[in-house]
Amino acid sequence: MADDALLFCSFDSGRDGLPAGAEEVLTLARSVASARGVDLDWLVVGPMPAGVAEAAAVHGVSHVDHVDDPRLGEFLPDVVVAAIAGYCARQQPASLFFSQTFDARLVAPRVAARLGVGVVMNVVDLLATGEGLVATTTAYGGDTRVEYEIAGHAVFGVAGESILPEPAASPGAATPRSIAVELSGTRERIRTVKKARSEGPRLEEAQIIVAGGRGLQEAENYRLVEDLAAALGGLAGASRPIVDDGWTDSSHQVGLTGKITRPVLYIAAGISGASQHMVGCTAAKTLVAINTDSDAAIFKYARYGIVGDCVEVLPALTRAVKGG
Amino acid sequence: MRIVVCVKEVLDPDAVDNYVLHGKLVIGDDGVTLTQTSIPRLMNAYDEQAIEAALRLRDAGIDCTIDVVCVGLEPTAILRHAAAMGADEITIVPLDQAKLDGRGIATILAAYIKNKGGADLVLCGRQASDDDQGVVPALIGELLDAPVVTIARAVEIDGDQVRVTRVTPDGDEVVETSRPAVVTISNELGTPRYPTTMRTMKARKLTPVQATLESLSLSAAEVAPLVRVTRQYVSSVQGNCQFIDGATADEQASALVGVLRAERVIS
Repeated sequence: MADDALLFCSFDSGRDGLPAGAEEVLTLARSVASARGVDLDWLVVGPMPAGVAEAAAVHGVSHVDHVDDPRLGEFLPDVVVAAIAGYCARQQPASLFFSQTFDARLVAPRVAARLGVGVVMNVVDLLATGEGLVATTTAYGGDTRVEYEIAGHAVFGVAGESILPEPAASPGAATPRSIAVELSGTRERIRTVKKARSEGPRLEEAQIIVAGGRGLQEAENYRLVEDLAAALGGLAGASRPIVDDGWTDSSHQVGLTGKITRPVLYIAAGISGASQHMVGCTAAKTLVAINTDSDAAIFKYARYGIVGDCVEVLPALTRAVKGG
Repeated sequence: MRIVVCVKEVLDPDAVDNYVLHGKLVIGDDGVTLTQTSIPRLMNAYDEQAIEAALRLRDAGIDCTIDVVCVGLEPTAILRHAAAMGADEITIVPLDQAKLDGRGIATILAAYIKNKGGADLVLCGRQASDDDQGVVPALIGELLDAPVVTIARAVEIDGDQVRVTRVTPDGDEVVETSRPAVVTISNELGTPRYPTTMRTMKARKLTPVQATLESLSLSAAEVAPLVRVTRQYVSSVQGNCQFIDGATADEQASALVGVLRAERVIS
């Protein structure tokens, strides 16, 4: 057993048979594993998603390790942390990689504490340097990049939005192994009293998003955003300031502390382009900005721009879309 | 019951954003530190909301003391603000946070809490607006062997139970756990209260309690960083925006819709 193998950990079923962000994280982790000449393994905690075996082979994974238990059917944080820590005690992997989902933001640092190693979140790039690693992360809501130097092993939360998944030069064996971890002694301390109910389609998966910001001037103009989104068959998003002001609810918030989206078309209306917002929409294929200020930062990110008042331009766009 | 709120002093993220937008952010000779003294130093906004969450518990009739603690060289101003908001005790651990990592900070804060005889509830902001790491609360939870509940918009206490409304990507979720617990607060909690002039005046005379590695029985090795910041730089953005002209909003709109249809972005 290569006890210095790098390990990608996943514990969600994701969508389309793959845990969220799996291919992006595997692409990044493999680049380090190749530079080091060590194995890349994949630990799947809980039910095995259908697409894991194929993705593991494509991305050069040596072993697909499975830790399963009836209590891993739904996300119980204490049980998941215990399962990963138990696996690590047995298999002794080197650095651990998580796709930085909402739940991984909690699980990754807790696992790092159990293992007594450092933890770095918001990782967008990683380089092997001699004995150590240098992790590039976003900071100040995306305004700056910060590089962290790690001497030994660590736990990484990877924000994979900017990583382009690439298959390995040669496929991996992806040998499945079942690893037994004793979880009967672990008591889950968190009880869910009321589950989150995802109502309707999610911004994260929307193909078209129209988002509004302070440039809408008043709360009732958020309707203009919703109208255009409806005309385009898309969803309505929002910048954090207007969510904080209650113009719409936080399920519409795009950005660092909201939804990370990757639509085909993102129309930003009356949004200045603060980094904290852009983190949530720069993965859009085509970004359109509407702003009265031609110097607004949003135009640096946009493919197409309209300098104008979004309160006038949005209804005009709705008419143009419907009229065509 | 005792509530401990952990706060961090940060550079005003809006000011940093403004400098970045105008291409004027200055990074010092060490390649890491943002050196412009014109950038205000503030309490991390999520941490201020964590204090607000504690004060709302008191408002709801929970008999509690609220202790606010900060690791940093000169956080006296933000700690006085915490006192003006309503904190009962303010404590400073005067160490340079730039020389510590999340593990070191969490080790110090957990030792402070243990030294106090424990806390029923530890409240933290969901993340710091400078490094955005958000790992310290989870690490404190592990060090105290306490459950950790993240991204709260509301916190209630019912006997020995803590009930938390979390803002998840799928909407609000309500969870319960027993205290002691660590809870992180998100911006959805709402605007923190503004201290009255009287309270601000009174807080101005307060001197924070000092805690040191020695008084917390910690060795330098126990808080030595496992990860070190070696470089910070401004992320570059490639601008190639094509502006859509038109005399009226309708003209601009039809031109844009025409372009998007031609490129098959929309049907």
